[in-house]
Formats: sequence, structure tokens, C-alpha cells
Amino acid sequence: MSGQAVAFAVEELPWPPSVNDVFLPSVVQDAGPWVTKFTLMVWLAVALIIVFFLATYRAPKLVPTKGQWLAESVYSFIRDGVGRDVIGKEGIKFAPYLTTLFLFVLVTNIFGIIPLLQISPNAHIAFPAVLAVLSYVLFNYLGIRKHGLGRYLKMNLIPDAPVAMLPLLIPIEFFSTFILRPLTLALRLFANMFAGHMLLLVFTVGGFVLLGTNNILTQSVSLVSFAMAIILTLFEVIVALLQAYVFAILTASYVQGALADEH
Amino acid sequence: MTDGQPPKRPDDAAGANMGWTAVGYLLAGMAVWGFVGWLVDQWLKWEGIATAIGIIVGMALAIYLIVRKLGV
Repeated sequence: MSGQAVAFAVEELPWPPSVNDVFLPSVVQDAGPWVTKFTLMVWLAVALIIVFFLATYRAPKLVPTKGQWLAESVYSFIRDGVGRDVIGKEGIKFAPYLTTLFLFVLVTNIFGIIPLLQISPNAHIAFPAVLAVLSYVLFNYLGIRKHGLGRYLKMNLIPDAPVAMLPLLIPIEFFSTFILRPLTLALRLFANMFAGHMLLLVFTVGGFVLLGTNNILTQSVSLVSFAMAIILTLFEVIVALLQAYVFAILTASYVQGALADEH
Repeated sequence: MTDGQPPKRPDDAAGANMGWTAVGYLLAGMAVWGFVGWLVDQWLKWEGIATAIGIIVGMALAIYLIVRKLGV
């Protein structure tokens, strides 16, 4: 009897995980794809970041409180470690954007392992794509504003090489700078978060599927599956941090390339 | 950094940038000239020979570019 009940429950499980797991249904009826769990999470992330900085910077003290210390640490980490170290002196003025970018990616990534939320908006290609487009527009705009369109293109497309080689090299330069950069920026973040979500689904839901079988051997294997789910959840914390950092540092590096003087 | 000297630590960020740049050039070289080779294949019905040549030439050009731009 109980075996039958469990078997019935197993059939209800969303197994196996598939790509459709990141295409979430609308929360509001008839609202189309505009109000899903993802869009709500993005608003939540924005709200969290705004509230965090407003609350911690509301009454700044010379000897900072814990919250103020945390906010200042994050900001100075990005300002110095990304803005100044990658871009140089001019990088300081990009610190607000880079910090916001870093925190937004970090918070939305961390959503992937928060109970009840349990999926990152970045596991859907649309969200990393928009972030990559922002960085793409930013660095191209800065480059064109500083050097002018002609000189900016010349700097990026024409390498320092014999004239005979140029027809062979310019297409590579064009492809790597203007097509591959935004593509890899978006894909790297998307693929990491999507793969992380799939892994967690495989080991968590897979654990329940194993538990629901009628064989003591396969049931005991579910313990391994659950243990893996826990380990991978901790691993996802590292991935979330690292990918947010990589996104910020690559954006900074592209800005640096656009602002650099002739090589 | 209170002594007014610029920090002398090895620049991790710059190292990572160079790595990404190099990988980007390799991919771009193979993609661009591999694609041109594929077009030639479609045109002359060479069944993949031009694609292979294109990819190898693209890689060679990418390595040339990397040495030229990133090499000391």
C-alpha cells in the first residue's frame, strides 16, 4: 500500500529535468510572459540592493556600524579591485556602475540557492543577454566618445602588422571585439547558472525518484544523491560569487580597452 | 599603500584579461576563417577540405595576432 503511494508520488515529480524548467509560467493570469517568478525576482533584487545601500548609508559614521562596514567593503572592493586596477585612474568614476552590476548579478545568482526562490533569473538567457548588451553599449559609447568613430574603429580593427596581413587579420579582430565579446559575456553567466540549476535538480529530484523505487539498494543510493545536492549547493555559492566578479571585471576590461590610448 | 609607492603586486586582473583576450582571438580566428572555408566548400563542393584549411589558417592567424598584441 505505502509502496504504491510512494510510486504514485514519484510519477508526480518533475523528472527528468529539462530546458523547460527555466521557462516559467506567468504568475498573473493572462499577463503573458511579462510577470513571471523571474521578473518578480529581478524587482526583488533591485529593491534589496537599493534598500541595503539606503539603510547602511543613511547616517554614515566615522566609526562604521556593521552594515555600513559591509556596504563600504563591497564598494571599495569593486572600486579598487576592479575599477582602479583594471581601468586605471579613470576607473574610479565607473565604480558605481560596476558595483551595481556586480551586486545585481551576485544577488540574482544567489537566488538560485535560496529556499523557495531556488532558481536564478540568470539561468534564462534573456537576463544575461540584457546585461551584456548594457556593457556592450557602454564600452562602445565610451570609446567612440573619447576617440571618435573613425579612430575608435581603427584602433580596434587594425592591428600593428604588415599591410599584406591586414585583410586576413581584420575579420578576426572584428569578430572577436564586436561579436564574440558580448556573446561570451552573456553565455558564460547564463551557462554557469543554467548548469548549476540543472545539477541541483538532478541530484535533489533524482534523490526523491530513487527513494520512491521499490528496491532497498536503489533507495539507499538516494543518500548519496542528497549528499551531492548539499555539496553542490555550497559549490553554487562559489560559482555565484565568481561569475558576478568575472562579469564586472570583464566589463571593466572592455571599458579599459575602449578608453586606452593607441597601443 | 600608505608609503606613497605604487603597489607592486602582480596584476591578477590584467593576467586574466590577457587570457580571455587570447581565447577570444583563437575562437574568432577559427570561426571567421572556418566559416569562409565552409562557404568555399558549399561553392566548389570540396566536402569539408576548405573548412579544415580555413580553421587551421584561422588558428595560425589568431596565434600571430596574439603574439603581436600580447607578446612582450
